[in-house]
This record gives sequence, C-alpha cells and structure tokens, in this order.
Amino acid sequence: MAETADRDAGRDRLAALVAPGARDLRRAGLLSVAAALIWLPQAAIVALAIAALLDPALPQLPPLVLAAGFAGLGLARAWLAALSEARASHAADRVLGLERQRLIEDEALRGPLDPNRPASAEVTALAAQKLEALRPFLTRYQPARMRVAVLPPAILALSFWFSWAVGSVLLVAGPLIPVFMALVGLAAREASARQMEEIGSLNGLLMERLSALVDIRVLDAGARTLARFDRAADELRRQTMEVLRIAFLSSTVLELFAALGVAMVAVYVGFALLGEIGFGTWGAPLGVGAGIFLLLMAPDFFQPLRDLAAAWHDKSAAVAVASELAAAEAAGRRNIAGQGAAAAPLAGPARIATRGVAFETAVGHRLLFPDLDLPPGSRVALTGPSGAGKSTLLALLAGLAAPASGRIEVAGQPLGADTADAWRTRIGWVSQTPHFLNRSLADNLALAGGNAATVEQALDLAQARAVVSALPRGRATRLGETGAGVSGGEARRLTIARAAAASPGVILADEPTADLDPETARLVTDGLMRLADGGATLIVATHDPDLVARMDRQIALGDPA
Amino acid sequence: MKPLFALLRVIWQGQSRAFWRGAALAAVVLMAGVGLLGLSGWFITAAGAAGLAGLGIGFDFFRPSAGVRLLALGRAGARYGERLLTHDATLRALAGLRVHLLGGIMRLPYPRLLRLRGGLALNRLTADVDALDGISLRLVIPMASGALTLALAWAILAWLVDLAVSTAVILAVLCGTAATLAWTLRRAARPSLRAELHMQAFRTTLIDLFRARVELAVFGQLQAQTRAALLREARQRAAANRVDSIDRVAGAALSATATLAAALALLLGLRLAETGAITPAQAALAFFAALALAEVIAPLRRGLSELGRTLVAARRIDRDLRDTGQPAAARAAPAPRDDAPELAFANVALRYPGGAAPLFRDLSFQLRAGETVALTGPSGGGKSSALTLAAGLIAPAAGEIRLRGAPLTAWPETALRATVAFLPQRSALLSGTVRDALTLADPNLDDAGVRALLETVALDDVVARMGGPDARLGEGGAGLSGGEGRRLALARVLARRPRVLLLDEPTEGLDADTARRVLDGLRKALPDAAILTASHRAVEIDRADRVLSMTQ
Repeated sequence: MAETADRDAGRDRLAALVAPGARDLRRAGLLSVAAALIWLPQAAIVALAIAALLDPALPQLPPLVLAAGFAGLGLARAWLAALSEARASHAADRVLGLERQRLIEDEALRGPLDPNRPASAEVTALAAQKLEALRPFLTRYQPARMRVAVLPPAILALSFWFSWAVGSVLLVAGPLIPVFMALVGLAAREASARQMEEIGSLNGLLMERLSALVDIRVLDAGARTLARFDRAADELRRQTMEVLRIAFLSSTVLELFAALGVAMVAVYVGFALLGEIGFGTWGAPLGVGAGIFLLLMAPDFFQPLRDLAAAWHDKSAAVAVASELAAAEAAGRRNIAGQGAAAAPLAGPARIATRGVAFETAVGHRLLFPDLDLPPGSRVALTGPSGAGKSTLLALLAGLAAPASGRIEVAGQPLGADTADAWRTRIGWVSQTPHFLNRSLADNLALAGGNAATVEQALDLAQARAVVSALPRGRATRLGETGAGVSGGEARRLTIARAAAASPGVILADEPTADLDPETARLVTDGLMRLADGGATLIVATHDPDLVARMDRQIALGDPA
Repeated sequence: MKPLFALLRVIWQGQSRAFWRGAALAAVVLMAGVGLLGLSGWFITAAGAAGLAGLGIGFDFFRPSAGVRLLALGRAGARYGERLLTHDATLRALAGLRVHLLGGIMRLPYPRLLRLRGGLALNRLTADVDALDGISLRLVIPMASGALTLALAWAILAWLVDLAVSTAVILAVLCGTAATLAWTLRRAARPSLRAELHMQAFRTTLIDLFRARVELAVFGQLQAQTRAALLREARQRAAANRVDSIDRVAGAALSATATLAAALALLLGLRLAETGAITPAQAALAFFAALALAEVIAPLRRGLSELGRTLVAARRIDRDLRDTGQPAAARAAPAPRDDAPELAFANVALRYPGGAAPLFRDLSFQLRAGETVALTGPSGGGKSSALTLAAGLIAPAAGEIRLRGAPLTAWPETALRATVAFLPQRSALLSGTVRDALTLADPNLDDAGVRALLETVALDDVVARMGGPDARLGEGGAGLSGGEGRRLALARVLARRPRVLLLDEPTEGLDADTARRVLDGLRKALPDAAILTASHRAVEIDRADRVLSMTQ
C-alpha cells in the first residue's frame, strides 16, 4: 500500500515537474512526428524506382531525379529531427533548472536541529546527479508518445489500403508490444528505484569515509573499509545490471516481435509476388512496387512502439527520482527562521528575553529552558552536563530552530521569520565544530562581513594573527573542511576571529575554549571579553570553569532525563 | 588521447574475455543487420521479377526466407548478449577502479590526507569514474565492430553486386563518419571540459552550502551561497546545452551521411540495372544494404557527444592512478625487546615543510608500560605533532623514535597499528550503529566487549537512553553531542587494546566529573598500557604520572 502511495506521489510529482516544459515538448513531439512521416514518401520513391526496373510499363523516371528526391527528403528528415531535439533539450533544461533551484533553496533552509535533514552528500547527489536522470525522460518520452499516436495508425491505414493481409499482420503484432511493455515497466520501476537508492547510499558511504581517512588509518581499518566499499560498489553494479537486464531483455523481445512482424509481411509479399498466394488484396494482385513499399514501411510501424518502450524505462527512472523529491518534500522539516540572507541589523538595544521556551529533540525528549532576561552587555555562561541542551539553546537564540513552545524576544521584538535575518546580522557565532568553505582563508575570515582592516583587528583580538602568518600561503591558504592544516586550537581561534570581524552586538559561542591550552584559552577569553567590553552581549556554552568565572552569570541547564 | 588509451587498458584488463566476446557479438549484430535488410530487398525484388516472368513455381524461396528468419533472430540474440556482456564487464571494471582509487587515496601520506577535500575526492570516485564507461561501450567497441562490418560489407557487395557501387557506398559512409568525427573532436572537447568543470564547481559549492549551513545562516551568507550554487548550476546547464547543440549537429550529419550513402546506392544501382550490367534484384540488394549501414553509424553518436567529458575524466584519473600510494611490500614485524621502554623519543626534532624554524628539537623521553605521561605546552607548540610522530604518521627531521626497542620505521603498518593506538584531536565518526563504530576498530568485538567499552568511557547511560548499542547515528555521528561523540571515538580507540595509547586531548568537551570518570575507566580497562596524552586540562594533568612540558 505504502509503495503504491509512494509511486502515486512520484507520478503526481513528475506531472507537476514536467508542466513548465510542456509547450516545448509538444512542439518537439510535432517536429519528431513530421520527421518520422517523411520516411513514407522516401519509401514510395524507392518502391517506384525498383518496380519501374522490373516493369517497363510503369512510368520511368531518371535515376538521378529519384535518388535526389530520396536524398532531399532524407536531409529534411535529419533537419526536422535536429529541430525536435533542440526543442526537447530546451524544455529539459528549463525543467531541470527549476527543479534544482527549488530543491537547493528548500534544503538550504533546513536548520541544524532538523532530524530529517538528509546527509549533505545525499542531497548533493540528488540535485546534481539524480535530477540529471530526468533529462532522458524529458527529451524522449513525450516525442515518442506522439510518434506512437500518429505513425503506427498511419502506416496501418496505408497497409490496409494496399493489402488487408499485411494490415492484419500489423494489427495483430502491434498491440502485443504495449502489453509487454506494461508488464516490463512494473519490474523496471522497482529495479530503478532500488538502483537510485543504492547510488545515494554509496555516495553517502564514500563521502563519510573520505572525511574519516585519518581515523581509518590509525584504526587499521583500511582493509575492512575497502572491503565494505567493494561490497557496496558491487551491490550498485548488481542493481544497475538488474535495471539494464530488464531494459535489454524487453528491447530484445520487442525487437523479436518487430522482426517477426516484418518477416511475416516479407513472406506474404514474397509469396504474393510469386503468385503462390491469391488472397489478401482488394481484387488485383499485389504489384512489386506495392510489395516493396509495404516492406519498407513495416519496420517503421514497430519503431515508434520500440522507442516508447525504451522511453518507458526513462520514465521509470524519472518516477523514482520524482518519488524521492516528493518524499523529501513530504518529510517534516524544521527550517531556520528567516532566509539566512544578509539584512540591515535589527534596531534597538540587543536585549534577549525568553519565556517558557521548550524544545522537542529528535528522539522525543522535551528540553525545558529557564526564562532568560539578558540586557545588552550581559556575560552569561550556559553550563550543564552533555546533552542538557546548551547547544540547542544557542541555536534557538540565533533563530536556527523554532521552539516547540514559548517565545523568544530579541531587541524588543519577537524572534521570528521577519526578524531573524536582521537579528543574526548582529550575532557573531563560534560553533563547536568549525567548518571552512572551499575558499581562501581571507574569504573565510570575511564571511561574516567586515573588510580587510576589521579582519586584521579580529585576528589580533582572537590571538590568531600568528596562526595566519605561520601558514606557507598565508591568507590565500585553503584549509580543509574542518580546519585541517592548522591545529584544533588554531582553527577555533580563526573561527572566533571570523565571528569578531563583523563587530557583532551579540556573541554566541559553543565551547569557545575547548581544545585550547589554559594560556591560549585565557587569551581568547580576553579577546571575547574585550569584544564584550565594547557593549556586546556574550553567551557561551561551556564546561570550562575559568571561562565561567569570567562571566557575570551562570545559567545551569538541567539533565534531560 | 593518451590517458584514454591508458584507461582503456585498465578497464579492459580484468575483463578482457568478456569484452572480446562482447565486441565479437557487436560485429555479428551489425553484420546480421546489413545482411537481413540486403537479403530481404533482394528476395522481394527477385520474387517480383520471377512472378512477372511467370517463373514463380521454380523460385527457391525457402533458403532466402530461412536466411531472413535466421538473421533476424540471430541479430536480436547477439544484441542481447553483447549488451549484457559489455555492460557487466564495464560496470565490474569501473567498480574495481573505484575501489583501487579509494585504496590509493587511503595510502596517501598523512599530511595529504589531512588536506584532502571530501567533495573533490568524491567527484573523482563517482562522477569521473562514471564518465569512463563510454570508452569501451560507446567508442571502442562500436568503432571496431563498425569498421569490421564496413570492410565485410564492402567485400560482399563487391562480390555480389559491383565493385564500383560497393566502393562508392562504403567510401561515402567512411568519409561522412570520419568528417563528423573530426569535426566533433575539434569542437566538442572544450565545451565538454567546461561543462564538466562547471558541474564539479556546482557540486563543490553545493556540498559547502549544505555542510556549512549553520555558519552561512548565522553570517547572513546562506542566500549568497545558494545563489552562488545556482549560478554555477546555470553555467553548468549553459555549457551542457552547448555540448548538446554540437551533439545535435553531429547527429544530423551522421543521419545525412546514412541518407546520402543510401541515395548513392540507389542512383548507381538504378543506372547499372538500366544498362543491364546487374539485375534489379542486385540493385535492390545494394540499396537495402546501404540503408542498413545507418545502424553502423548511429551508435557512434553518443560516444561522440560524450567524448569531451570522457577525455577530461580520463586525464584526471590517469594522473591519480600514477600519483596515489602503492601498497607497501609485506614486511615481518621486528622482534620487540621486553626490557626496552614501550616508546622512546631520542633527540627528536620536527620541522614542517616550508616552515622556517623547527617546531621543536631535542625532544627526548621514555614511556614504560603502565605509565601515563601528559605532554603540555602552548597551543601550536607541537604536542599534537609529537603524538603524530609517535603514531608513525609523519617522520622526524632528526632523532629517532623507538617502539618496544625497535625503530618505528622498521614496523610494518599492521603490526604498528596493533601496538599503537592514536586518538587524534578531531576524530570523525561514521553513520551506522554505535556497535558499528566499535567494530570498525575490532571486528571480533562481542556484546560484553561493547558494553564494557561503553562503560569505560561513561557512555553506557547515554547509549541505553538511545535504545542500546544498535541505535543508529547520523552523518558524522549526529545524534550524539560533541562530548558524547568524543567519548565514542575514545572507546573506538580502546577497542584496539593497544600496548601504547596516544591520546590528543582525550577529555576535550567533557565536564570535569565525566572527564575523571573516563580517565579512571581508561586506566582500569588497560592497566598495562603506556599512555601518552597531549593535555591542557587540569583534570588530565592530575591523572598523569609524569608531566612533560614542551615549552621551549
């Protein structure tokens, strides 16, 4: 049941997804139908030419005219096909762009405490790789469907006009193809959904291992990790082969149907021309020209059906991707408040007040926080055992998550969607695990805003100037994602400098002195205090008794149990 | 082109039997196709001629019609076999290549491991390797089987119809295809490269966007980074569209080639038949065979349109294959001396490449079984580097480090890792169960072992609350707080049951009580281990037997 619902959701999602490209796809379809129809006059020319060779009674046209006619029509066919492809590609491009935009914008807004937040590598794989799988579906399916609607009926009518026997053969053989196609389609969809899942999880698996290579080395787990990856890679190959096997098998069976149909037409035409068979036509015996015309048309009766069958697999893959999109959209989300955009700072004194704020954790614990009343310039330490909600409270105060109940007031206004961006402009953030973007250190330090001069000041304040000058490439260095290239303490000082660079009015710091020796910790604390001396509010989550002692207040958060 | 051939060799190597058979079947498919259409055209025309002449009774229609059926069935079967064989062989080869590349990355020297960007390496292992599947499937096999088919078709048409007709038709196909190939090669390489680079830039920006969501949001840069990602996405699509349009032109050119070759066959056949040099049935044979040659040409189209992308990926992977570490030769572990200290530093100096002054020099100390020594000193003073040296991950500029009496460099990797365990300052946890995290270090760990380890690091309550050791953790150990994750990483190291334990700030992020509990549990779990910590916390220094200050 759940699976059916899933598929329905996927199909609905797919329909919605195609809509913006529908116009272009219709045109692409019409052009491709026109291109395919050109084959009929081409076949007629060939049939006339060969028949005239055998029967001097027929009108004799010069070979050059016949060949030129055939070639001219063929070139027109190639041109129309290219035009059709251009239209379809345009539609796919548009759809892909819109879908990626929607996905990326939605996922970027998920907050740090969102339990449904998918692994970064998986969303990236979905946006970059899997959505790309929509392209073949978009460019092929609709044109193929339109060709099926026009060509087989047209060829069937022509065949009946010349010979009811040939028409009947086609009429019987043709419908077998869609029936078979539907049967295969069911199996194909399941297989390609599994394959998609496998691609995502393999990417996730790899990404994680790639960021844990040092641990894997020192745990001597390299061989085991490789073996595990080997198994996963082989599983993906197996799943992919399963999809391919179904695709290949079905196209083989379709080829056989088509070949049988054409062979039956050929045998009938052959016997009729030899005079062995007298039935099948409307009175007069079948002529050579008609015979050759029928034979040349027969494969093109089946070709659109085979194209559609191939596109059917593209559709399965597309439904699988669309289901994944629908599932991601249906899953509950805990977005950050606001957009995370740059904004003019929220006016007014940076007072923070909370009333009855509670938060529901992913595993269902309810964290109830004490009410806060923090005038500007407050220096507060949040303490408590691991898991008491120190980091959660910081996230709530930064508008990175919404409380389950209660309210938070900042600078005299309720913290919400319309105030969060402006409020965050006044916040400096020092997170527990620093993350550096794949850009130069200078860019990373200026992330919060500020110019070269304020960045230099901030480096002094965080006692981090020496860290930067010790790097061989200085400010042009690209650090690893979590600050590889400098020590843990140095990375922390750099993130403090980054936060300080925009001269924030409120500093939220999660364990700012962790991994620093007492001396450096004291220097960093001094820096934070200097920043606070300028009037900034300082809220730290910490275990460090020295840091706690430097604050004006300590707020102990309780045990969640 | 060179990397392309190098990688073709790599891909072909392990699966060469399957590939050769697949290529042979591919040629059979094409030849059967040409034969089928040629024979059918000849058959109908000959039958028509016989009927008109009143010779229908004597016409042998059994052999040609049996031939038509045989060719039709044979072609379908050969195509199925060819596709399965070559695709499976390719996927196997690529899976093997991926594992091989990951193995190479894992063996990179430690400093390069540190600097490795996950996103880029991931691109290499997935997108780049995927891009190679076309080398054999859509370039080499279709070209080889196509060339073979053209040669055979030329010979048979020359024999059955006429040398001039045959030569003209095959030449037209060859020239048209070659010209299209050359044009595509010249035009497509650069846009493909651009599309590929834009795709990589897009993915890297996207990974950054999702991984640094929190920082970006707080600093008001989330929208800017989103726009940057979308800008790269738009550029990627624009470049892809450019490749697409080149591909369309190439496709139209190939289609035109097929049409012109067939028209040429029709023209020459009709002329010769009019003069009586060949029969109308022979003319039909030539035309229908030429028509079927479209099937030789068509499969090249996809290979051509992917050529640029494939080239770029091949270049990069070829470089990686040469560049990454080779498996170390197996060596015997040195015989440990029981009277020697577990770990001994003698006048060790360390200098970072590019760094002017040494980080430290003349570092000497000894560490005996059951002893706990804490290294202290200012941040950046070399505590962590000393541990990294002791773990054998980097080499000293001067001096010597001995492990159980034998030089560290004499220890093979596995024996070294079985003796020395190292908890780096930043340990990464993997998604999976808590149990998975521990069995990564020791695959033979049983339930009791898991329980004991969790108790040692004071995680038993936390894990029980989560629902036991089979509770799942998210990416990077998400679901645990920073301190809890730190303790799980510590438990993972303890699961190695090493003789020498190197811990870089093991209780970072823990409150003092928990830190004490963990340190005591640690000693109880490994009473004889020699423990070296890099410490700045009073609680860690308190618990050490000796303190070694690294102040210069």
